[in-house]
Amino acid sequence: MSNILLQIIIYTVIWGSIYLLISLGFSLICGVLRIFHLGYGVVFVLAAYVTWFFMENMHLGLIPSIGLMILVQCAFALLVFYKGVFQRYLEEEEVLLTISILVFLAVAHLANYLYPVTAGVSIPSTIIDNVLSIGGVTIDYQMIIAAGVGILVTAIYVLWFMKTRIGLIIRAISQNLPAALLMGANVNRMYYLAMILSVIPPTICMIVIAPFWGVDPFMGMSLLMTAMLISILGGLGNLKGSIVASYLIGFIHASVSFIFVSRFMGLAALIVTLVVMIYRRGGIFAGETLW
Amino acid sequence: MVNLELRRDRIVARWRDKKTEWVIEPRYWRNPTIGISLLVILPIFVYSYPHILTMFTTANLYAAIAIPLALQMLGTGRVNFGPQLYLGIGGYTAALLNLHFGWSPAMTLAATIAVCAVIALLLSPTTLIAKGLYFSLITLILPLTFLDVTYIWGDIFRGEVGLVGMSPLLTFDKVSWNYIAYYYLSLFLMLMYLLFCDRTVRSRIGISMAAVNENENVARMMGVRVDIYKVFFYVAPSILTGIVGWFIVHTFRTFAGVTYLPLDFMTKILIIVIVGGRAFLYGAIPGAYLISILEDSLRGLGPVNYFVFPLILIALIVFLPRGEGLWGLYKKRRPRDYFPKLHVRRE
Amino acid sequence: MLEITTVSKNFGGLAAVSDVSFSVHEGEVVGLIGPNGAGKTTMLNLICGIYTPDQGTIRFDGTDITGMPSHKICRLGISRTYQIPQPFESMTALAGVMVGVLNGKHRPNMSVPDAALEASYYLEFVGLFSKRDTLARDLNLYELRMLELARALATTPKLLLLDEVMAGLNPTEASHALDMIWSAQEQFSFTILWIEHVMKIIMNATQRVVVLQYGKKIAEGPPREVTSDPKIIEAYLGAKYAQH
Repeated sequence: MSNILLQIIIYTVIWGSIYLLISLGFSLICGVLRIFHLGYGVVFVLAAYVTWFFMENMHLGLIPSIGLMILVQCAFALLVFYKGVFQRYLEEEEVLLTISILVFLAVAHLANYLYPVTAGVSIPSTIIDNVLSIGGVTIDYQMIIAAGVGILVTAIYVLWFMKTRIGLIIRAISQNLPAALLMGANVNRMYYLAMILSVIPPTICMIVIAPFWGVDPFMGMSLLMTAMLISILGGLGNLKGSIVASYLIGFIHASVSFIFVSRFMGLAALIVTLVVMIYRRGGIFAGETLW
Repeated sequence: MVNLELRRDRIVARWRDKKTEWVIEPRYWRNPTIGISLLVILPIFVYSYPHILTMFTTANLYAAIAIPLALQMLGTGRVNFGPQLYLGIGGYTAALLNLHFGWSPAMTLAATIAVCAVIALLLSPTTLIAKGLYFSLITLILPLTFLDVTYIWGDIFRGEVGLVGMSPLLTFDKVSWNYIAYYYLSLFLMLMYLLFCDRTVRSRIGISMAAVNENENVARMMGVRVDIYKVFFYVAPSILTGIVGWFIVHTFRTFAGVTYLPLDFMTKILIIVIVGGRAFLYGAIPGAYLISILEDSLRGLGPVNYFVFPLILIALIVFLPRGEGLWGLYKKRRPRDYFPKLHVRRE
Repeated sequence: MLEITTVSKNFGGLAAVSDVSFSVHEGEVVGLIGPNGAGKTTMLNLICGIYTPDQGTIRFDGTDITGMPSHKICRLGISRTYQIPQPFESMTALAGVMVGVLNGKHRPNMSVPDAALEASYYLEFVGLFSKRDTLARDLNLYELRMLELARALATTPKLLLLDEVMAGLNPTEASHALDMIWSAQEQFSFTILWIEHVMKIIMNATQRVVVLQYGKKIAEGPPREVTSDPKIIEAYLGAKYAQH
């Protein structure tokens, strides 16, 4: 019994931290640009497959590949999404959302076509290849590292938003755009910055979890769904909400997995989200501002 | 029961104490009549190519899903990103009842309607409670969760592979007649849906619904029972979509959740509504035919088509005149018609 | 006809309306005045069912309408216009009024052409018949306010709530609007509760005014009496002017 409890606690922390990494970028775009970025899954697909491309086809090492891949990510986010989609269709949101999904589908299918499952895509980013035993529970060191990275990145982001001048400007933009404009914020540049910032956590996430989570062109979709549920639960665009909701959903997944059957994880999370929506429209921290 | 009266320029129908008038204006009938006649005589040219007939049947079915979706978006004032949920529910209800209990297509039809109605009623509070954007997101997630469910209980649903061998709606001795029959049946289904939605939009319910779409609070203040309208406009199109699922099961005789539930299918339907133009209902038909023909022609390319297809859809959205879309390319705007704007984000 | 008893409404920490009581009798024209932020529009929203009062009751014709849903309140006979006109932008003027005609009362026997006919009647009454096929977003401010009036009339109200009808109209338009409201009241005979800032209208048009400030009622009575009360002058213009 206590074994199960221990497992639940440990996995809540681990999964919660990993989900934090996943949903951080999504919440950022939601809170600052006020756009629901349904193409967010692209980031995961690009992270995995572009790195693989640089490593396998261009024969670069792991670190240079990752560096180049980050550049590609930023370019993709800025050029394709921001300039190509968001700016053009800001007024017609249903078109914006549909095109975002289509871009994701195009990229995912391209990855699937170029590197089908048989190609054995993987990212050798295992840092410590060992397992740790706490109580009766064994955990991959990689998972612990992933969780730690998640917490670290989130902490950096939160501190950055709280303490720096630019973070303050971005928070102001997210709270009241006209007022921020009047105060002289260069909103466009801040939006570029927000797009780039949003790309970094999922990239890091993909790199660290690839060893144990596996790589699949369509995992972007399921990860996006988790990010969406966390956002809905925690309040769209709210970082505090994302943090709370990530651990909450981590807890739900962990409890359902270890007490019942792991197949019902996603369904349980969805039901809880729907129930919360009934009692508290807008999520736990409603208000659609960044902090 | 229902009294019909023919006056000089209108048909008046009376049922108990309610009266409906249908205005007959000859000039409004010319173009639809031409269009429908074209669709009806189509098989004559292609009857020896069952492959093309199937393509057109699929087009009819796509339109039959897009038309209730358009009605739903107008009526609830919210964009539904998961119309295929009821397709899946209806299809699986029909398929499972037919395979495991041997129910005839007529009985499965009744069951499909009942199940879809119940589930739609259960989910209808989301139109009332959730803010516009949240509603869209929840509708996005639901079919994917249902897909998960079909994988979880894979022994019943056979998520990946799908169910096969359901009883057909009708069989003829000559196989090619089957294809023609299914084409006409799907055409009939689609036209019935179009008629239903057209009548609804032009009726008093339609005008009140347009007001709700514009500004919910003001409509409430004018006496419109917004909540009941929203529930109706959520449940009725869901049932219609479920019936399409039933049709697919008994026509194509295979049904796999993985074909109809994921995002790829959803984007096809949404594109049809979006490029159909602002007069959503009627533009769905050319849109559906375009998408179906496109899809079929690309299939020849092999696995690359999964990558090319979204790109072409993006091109369609980007290059077709946004407000008018396909319908606008053909029809001149009449000032008295109402062209609604879709709002994703609203209270 | 309308009885407001100790109604209060708080938004977070702000008391928008606190402990307000007044009544409106049938056939009266009552003005609701006060400086900006006094809670007048909130009071209107409370009567219309958009907000529910935290305390107190509102009775209309003997029925308790506190917290009733807006569409039921409309069916009981209350209509309103809006401070910033809220037309149905993509619909024509005719269609907008038709919504009111079809939904204002229980009318199972009305078909769309019948509703169009009746809506045309209201449009013609306010002088907008020539604009019946224009989209509401293409109308100017005066026409929008007339459209709102037509829409409100189409729901056959017993009590009409007017929210700053004159705001933004030039003097000619304002006098046209005033005439329109009068002829409407003569023809359709309803009671009016009128929020207004233009003092001339309040003086000439209303029989009684209620004054709100910071959410509280500070005076009530015939307009001339109320506006010469130093307390009211102080509320509007500041203590300096109240001295004389």
